[in-house]
Amino acid sequence: MATARAAGRAGAAAALALLWLLVCAPGEAGCRLLTVADLFDRVIRHSGRIHSLSTALYAELEKHFPPRDNELGKPARKCHTSGMLTPNGKEYAQKIPREELTHLILKLLQAWKEPLSHFNQHHQELPDDSLSKAKQISNMVHELSTGVEKVTEKMQSMGMISNSLNGMASSEATGLSIGNEADMMSDSDFIHCFRRDSNKVQSYLKILKCRIMPENSC
Amino acid sequence: MKQKLTSSVPIILLLALTAVGLTGQSYPGKPKIIRCRSLEKETFSCWWKPGSDGGLPTNYTLFYSKDSEEKIYECPDYRTSGPNSCYFDKNHTNPWTTYNITVVATNEIGSNSSDPQYVDVTSIVQPDAPVNLSLETKTSANTMYLWAKWSPPPLDNVSSNSHVYHYELRLKPEEKEEWETVSVGVQTQYKVIRLQAGVKYVVQVRCMLDLGEWSEWSSERCIQIPNGESPPEKPTIIKCRSPEKETFTCWWKPGSDGGYPTNYTLLYSKEGEEQVYECPDYRTAGPNSCYFDKKHTSFWTIYNITVRATNEMGSNISDPHYVDVTYIVQPDPPVNVTLELKKPINRKPYLVLTWCPPPLADVRSGWLTLEYELRLKPEEGEEWETIFVGQQTQYKMFSLNPGKKYIVQIHCKPDHHGSWSEWSSENYIQIPTDFRVKDMVVWIVVGVLSSLICLIMSWTMVLKGYRMIAFILPPVPGPKIKGIDTHLLETGKSEELLSALGCHGFPPTSDCEELLIEYLEVEDSEDQQLMPSHTNGHPSKNAKMIPKETDSDSGRGSCDSPSLLSEKCRECRALPSTLQTPDVRDVQENKGGKRSGETQCIVSEQKVLLFNNESTKSSTWPAAQLPNNQPPVFAYHSTVDAHKITLNTTNVNIAPVLVGNEEKHQSQFPITDTVHNDMEKQREMENLHSKTDQTTVQVKQNRPNDKSPFLNPKLMDYVEVHKVRQDEPAVLLKHKENSGKTKKYTVPGTSKEYTKVSTVVDHNILVLMPDSCIQHTSVSQEAATEMSPNLQQGQAEKNMSYCLTPPSECIRETNGSEYMDPSSFMPSFK
Repeated sequence: MATARAAGRAGAAAALALLWLLVCAPGEAGCRLLTVADLFDRVIRHSGRIHSLSTALYAELEKHFPPRDNELGKPARKCHTSGMLTPNGKEYAQKIPREELTHLILKLLQAWKEPLSHFNQHHQELPDDSLSKAKQISNMVHELSTGVEKVTEKMQSMGMISNSLNGMASSEATGLSIGNEADMMSDSDFIHCFRRDSNKVQSYLKILKCRIMPENSC
Repeated sequence: MKQKLTSSVPIILLLALTAVGLTGQSYPGKPKIIRCRSLEKETFSCWWKPGSDGGLPTNYTLFYSKDSEEKIYECPDYRTSGPNSCYFDKNHTNPWTTYNITVVATNEIGSNSSDPQYVDVTSIVQPDAPVNLSLETKTSANTMYLWAKWSPPPLDNVSSNSHVYHYELRLKPEEKEEWETVSVGVQTQYKVIRLQAGVKYVVQVRCMLDLGEWSEWSSERCIQIPNGESPPEKPTIIKCRSPEKETFTCWWKPGSDGGYPTNYTLLYSKEGEEQVYECPDYRTAGPNSCYFDKKHTSFWTIYNITVRATNEMGSNISDPHYVDVTYIVQPDPPVNVTLELKKPINRKPYLVLTWCPPPLADVRSGWLTLEYELRLKPEEGEEWETIFVGQQTQYKMFSLNPGKKYIVQIHCKPDHHGSWSEWSSENYIQIPTDFRVKDMVVWIVVGVLSSLICLIMSWTMVLKGYRMIAFILPPVPGPKIKGIDTHLLETGKSEELLSALGCHGFPPTSDCEELLIEYLEVEDSEDQQLMPSHTNGHPSKNAKMIPKETDSDSGRGSCDSPSLLSEKCRECRALPSTLQTPDVRDVQENKGGKRSGETQCIVSEQKVLLFNNESTKSSTWPAAQLPNNQPPVFAYHSTVDAHKITLNTTNVNIAPVLVGNEEKHQSQFPITDTVHNDMEKQREMENLHSKTDQTTVQVKQNRPNDKSPFLNPKLMDYVEVHKVRQDEPAVLLKHKENSGKTKKYTVPGTSKEYTKVSTVVDHNILVLMPDSCIQHTSVSQEAATEMSPNLQQGQAEKNMSYCLTPPSECIRETNGSEYMDPSSFMPSFK
């Protein structure tokens, strides 16, 4: 419990740091209003880091729990977010409305907050290295979620996207029966799923950024 | 010269090349001849590998020469054997010739040639592998055998029937390593027996001409020896790849077909779905592959892919292959890689690399983000330096070694997943040398050129003799001395030259040198004067003065009369030692006398002036001019007279002794007199003089004992003492005998003594006035005629002479001939 509390505190601190990052540009004389492009770059980078971490964690877990057979071929693998309809290709991602895409990103992140916390609490038997990664991932997902919300607000305030998704986010997020399915998965499946979703989030963020600001290094 | 020039030309070229190489572009790298090969010993081809192109379009030219000829030919056919090759057709191929082949790469900046390759056609013969190998299993008499057939290697231009190939066949069961090789001979088919049933065999063939090497083995052919009937083997899925994260392709490798035509089917299912789909496109990606277009490509979904091989006997399914397309992205390599050398002012040049993402990748959508990595190494280096660049599509490099040529490659990969692309093609860049080095090169060029010019100059100078030198350095005009005959100088005869300068017999044989020395000694005598020596007879005092003055003007005169030289010079030489010591003594002993002497001298001077007016000068001059020894004689007379005058008042007591001396001499007088009187007997005079010398020596010897040289005043009236210093004879003349003659020349009204003697003791310089009477037996007649001109001259000279001390005038009178003008000398001596 002590470690959990410490982790919680650390997570809070990290969230604060992210908030500060989102508002203030490091290394500059003072805080200034960041452009949407800057914010996008940060959340994209952040999601990239999460993906890298999850990849590393997945590799560790595979090592720690050798697959009984071809893990990939396990037909039973089913992520708790599989039910969500997400674009599975570039063209779909480009067709979907911006608001919807934004909402999708937030939904994905939201869907992983609780299971990740749950995973951390119930997998104390994992190697320290993996456990710390898992905790880090959990915190970072919180931060990323906050960051994406920030970007969304900004875009909404600047009229880049409509305000229509506020209600959507909360209503649909509750609709997911997250907890049960996540519990049913093996550890490696769980991380595998998360890794995939983190990659989704990153890809969607990139697509979204380039759709909103096509002139900005896209 | 030519050799030097020709040898320096390559150096200059090299320097020029390196200078050009300083820019980004450079001459091409060295091509390398990879191999030369003749398929059938009638033609052959050579292939080369190009070096770097130096950033410019590069042409490759192949040159060859034959061992039998000097001539160099160019490749006859660059096309037939493909790029970077040369084909030598039948007409250009001689099997008994060794070819020396080089490839030259040329671009705008320069060229570079490969190492030569020596080719003997017969040793490079290697046919292509046989083709069209086909295998058949046949059964005859319950025996299974394998029937293999093939075709000889195809030839382009030559009818294939004209060559006889030997063949070899090898085979093995597929799973084994060892081959069984069979020599077939010249046939193109072979029957293999004793085969294991149910085993799959692999067969290859190769061929060879009667010389050269075996060809490569032909491609493998497999055959399943029937064991009955069997389905095909399991195919294997090799890999799946998405080049742009939008589509993907999977490839498989078929297994053995079991002896029957076999169909391959790719089946896939997606994660979470039960439905199995078949490959949408077998063709696009080639044989044994399946292409999934955009519609059939889903991300974040795992594909479960299997391949099924089916024949009459049944089917076999490969192991499943699971693919998440997100993670099988492997882009194509970046394109349009450019290397540019930037040269900012005041900074080191740096390299800018730019490139473009592969054309398939749609990076603008944000769907695929590529990261790049570049690697580079010096052209000759072994290890690559790898630099991760990130997502940018350009990179600046600052720390490259100048003067090296680098190879640069770039590849790319999706961020966070996927795998690296292949490396892009090699790009070359020549890094220029440092600016300082550039300067160095410039200076080296300048130095080499200038030294070359110097060499040429010196060489032409050597070749053309000293004309160039004379042209460049005109002769410096030699010092010109007035009065020196330049012609004499040029002829270079030293004797003549010297004689022109005044000494006719300059080489030591002559006495001129001695005379000169005498004069110097006279100067020295002043020191000796401080230490009067009693041994010196007083006559020397008188004599001393005379030589001095004769010296001054005698240089020429004495030399002109070589007959007299011996004596005269001897006198001169001897005199200085004794010079003037008597005078000092006189001064000390007889101050009063001295004064009187001076006064007398003045008087005499006046007389001289008179003389001059009356052209006595003319009478005196001849004395010096005369070749005989009369001038000294006169001088002696005069000096003696002077002494007589001076001594008259003072040294009376010594007179007897002197008289004695004079008496002794008297015997000689007649002779001298005769001489004076008879000018025609001058030569005799010389002889006589020598005699008198002898006699006078005796006199002289006596004198020191007497110590009475000054005491002759009493005798003055009767005798003139002609005195030389101790070494020399002293001549005493009877004055009475000569008096008659003398009177003729002297001014009337003046007494003998006065006219004869003019003595001045002036700071050791004693000037004696010759006795005109004696001297002028011969000259008198002349003098008379010349009187008027001499008068003028004399007057002109007076101006000078007045300033002079009396002696000068006295001398002038004595020596005042047209030939020698002592006055001109005297002032300068003073």
